[in-house]
Amino acid sequence: MKWTIGTKIGGGFALALLALVIIGVVSYRSTTGLVDTATMVDHSHQVLENLEQLLSIMKDAETGQRGFVITGEESYLDPYNAAIAQNEQLLGKIRELVQDNADQEQRIEALTPLIASKFAELKEVIDARRNPIGGFEAARQIVATDKGKVTMDGIRKIVDDMEAEENGLLKKRSDEATLSAQQTHSTIVWGTIFAFAFLSVVGFSITRNISRPLNEISDVAEKIAAGDLSSEVVTDKRGDEVGRLTRSFFGMNGSLREMADVARRIAASDLRVQVKPQSDKDILGNAFLTMVDNLRRSTAELSEGVNVLASSASEILAATSQVASGAAETGTAIAQTTSTVEEVKQTALVSSQKAKYVSDSAQKAAQVAQTGRKSVEASIDGMKRIQTQMESIAESVVKLSEQSQAIGEIIASVNDLAEQSNLLSVNAAIEAAKAGEQGKGFAVVAQEIKNLAEQSKQATSQVRTILNDIQKATTTAVLATEQGSKAVEMGVKQSADAGESIRLLADSITEAAQAATQIAASNQQQLVGTEQVGLAMENIKQASAQNLAGTKQAEVAAHGLHELGQKLKKLIEQYKM
Amino acid sequence: MSESKKSGPDFATAIDWKAVHRRLDHAAEMLAQKMAPSVGEKKTILHERARKLAQETKPDNPGKEWLVAIEFFLAYERYALASSFVREVYALKDITPLPGTPSFVMGIINVRGQIVSVVDMRKFFDLPDRGLSELNKVIIIRDDSMEFGLLADAVIGVRRIPLEEIQPPLPTLTGIRAEYLRGVTADRLVVLDAAKLLAAPALKVSQSSDT
Repeated sequence: MKWTIGTKIGGGFALALLALVIIGVVSYRSTTGLVDTATMVDHSHQVLENLEQLLSIMKDAETGQRGFVITGEESYLDPYNAAIAQNEQLLGKIRELVQDNADQEQRIEALTPLIASKFAELKEVIDARRNPIGGFEAARQIVATDKGKVTMDGIRKIVDDMEAEENGLLKKRSDEATLSAQQTHSTIVWGTIFAFAFLSVVGFSITRNISRPLNEISDVAEKIAAGDLSSEVVTDKRGDEVGRLTRSFFGMNGSLREMADVARRIAASDLRVQVKPQSDKDILGNAFLTMVDNLRRSTAELSEGVNVLASSASEILAATSQVASGAAETGTAIAQTTSTVEEVKQTALVSSQKAKYVSDSAQKAAQVAQTGRKSVEASIDGMKRIQTQMESIAESVVKLSEQSQAIGEIIASVNDLAEQSNLLSVNAAIEAAKAGEQGKGFAVVAQEIKNLAEQSKQATSQVRTILNDIQKATTTAVLATEQGSKAVEMGVKQSADAGESIRLLADSITEAAQAATQIAASNQQQLVGTEQVGLAMENIKQASAQNLAGTKQAEVAAHGLHELGQKLKKLIEQYKM
Repeated sequence: MSESKKSGPDFATAIDWKAVHRRLDHAAEMLAQKMAPSVGEKKTILHERARKLAQETKPDNPGKEWLVAIEFFLAYERYALASSFVREVYALKDITPLPGTPSFVMGIINVRGQIVSVVDMRKFFDLPDRGLSELNKVIIIRDDSMEFGLLADAVIGVRRIPLEEIQPPLPTLTGIRAEYLRGVTADRLVVLDAAKLLAAPALKVSQSSDT
């Protein structure tokens, strides 16, 4: 069987279509025939109706003519006028309807002049009757000729023929229609039965041919859906789609099995598996490849992370231990701080008292400074008096010096006198020498004068020396006085400075007193604050104890973390890379 | 306060005013005594003088010849001149410089109405202008033809010099000094020859040769 499934199904459907077409064609033909017959029947009915109407209007015209003839009233002519208006139209219509029938056409041609002559006879009668004198009589005579009756009978005969012809046609067509309908019926019934039987056989065989292998495949698919990949490969040589489907399905099963094998090995922590994707579009294979790669990488990273975690856990453990010991130390430190705060409190108390004492002392010192200032002012006055005294001393010394100068002048003149005496003695000696022997005594006198002059000179020299000493002494005295004066000035200045210093000192002391008061107040506040600090330290102590407990818990947790890290490390080491 | 305490005793010990007053009184007393010496003191002074005067003069050796000379200082050297040529010794004052004279002529002075020219020996002898000099004495020398004054720092006095003591000047001494020297004594006294000085042509100032 080299037919494909498509060919098989197409063949089956082709057979079904053939049967359908046959039945349809037969039905269509029968229905068309029936429709044609019905049209013809309708046509015959129209012809009959028009013929009846034609006869009727002819009768109306005759009736109106008779009424007018009898009565002379014009109103009886209305049917007649209407018939004149309609007969041409009706004749036209009938002629048109019977064009397909030569016999009927001939009859119409025969009918037309008859109708014209009838209307002419009617008109003649009517015109005759219209004559007021003897009109009726004339009309009666015309009628009495029976010319109208003959014409009318001719018309009636032809119309009856035509009606008989049409009725015959009607009967014939009705029979044909009945026969056609029966044929169509049988064709549809038998055709349908035959087609049903035949198509059933074909459909069954095709369905059977396709569904069996599909059932097998769907069984396998159900197993795969249930996770069972153990189905053995069935070698099917079929070349059609089902064969391909089966083969590809078992191929899929095989590759799934490979993937499952890979997954099993991965599950067994073996990451060394080599996954070969079937193609670029092998989503599962590629996904497995990526997954294995990612798993390898992730495992490596995880390994590193676990190592880091393990070391971190160790460090945390160590740190926590340190923190715990630190917390213990903090506890002791807090205890010490608390006692220190207590000491600070005591100290603040003491310093508060001291500050008060300092304030009092500062006020006393301020009074002392005031006294000191007055003393300094008095001393400055004294210094100024000394200055005046110094000035008068200097004046006296200067006067002394001037008097020494006067003495010096006197001494100079004495010296001059001595000098002149000396010269005199020399000249006397010269004269004595000139006098020779007689001048000897004079020479002795001259010598004596010379000696006196020498002594005078020596005396004046001594006096000059003494005067020089006096001069030096007075200069020294003046210098000393000047220095004394300057010292006194300096003393005045220093006293003033001292006074200023004392004033500043007094100010400072006053400020110090204020500051000491402020310090006392501050100390009070400090005392209060220190008590608060003591309370706070108590709180800190409690918190520290809690901290210690918490830290110990953290230590336990860190220990747990450390163990977890070790476990994770072992777990990661199970992976074969 | 501590300063004043410190300096207080210093003031007290620095000046003993009572002692000062005592010393001053003593000085005044002594001055009054000196100004009016007592009779006894006067006598002791006079006795002292008499004792000095009473020294026996050495007898003149008749066999010796003497040169009576005036001894004077000039630029810290001692010179001597025979007193026979000395008219007198005069104190130098109111010297008037003379223009158009040689440099050794200091000027002229008025000696009791007489005009005397004054010569600076140092410049004449070409001695160096070394050392301070008072130059306040004029020794006026003269002979029959010439009279002028010599400047001197100080006149020591009249002295008798034995002629035998005067030694000739050193042969090394040359120039103008040698020309006017008479000799040198053992105690380094330079004896000038007054006659030669008076006759020295260089000292003659005449109108004709004065240009």
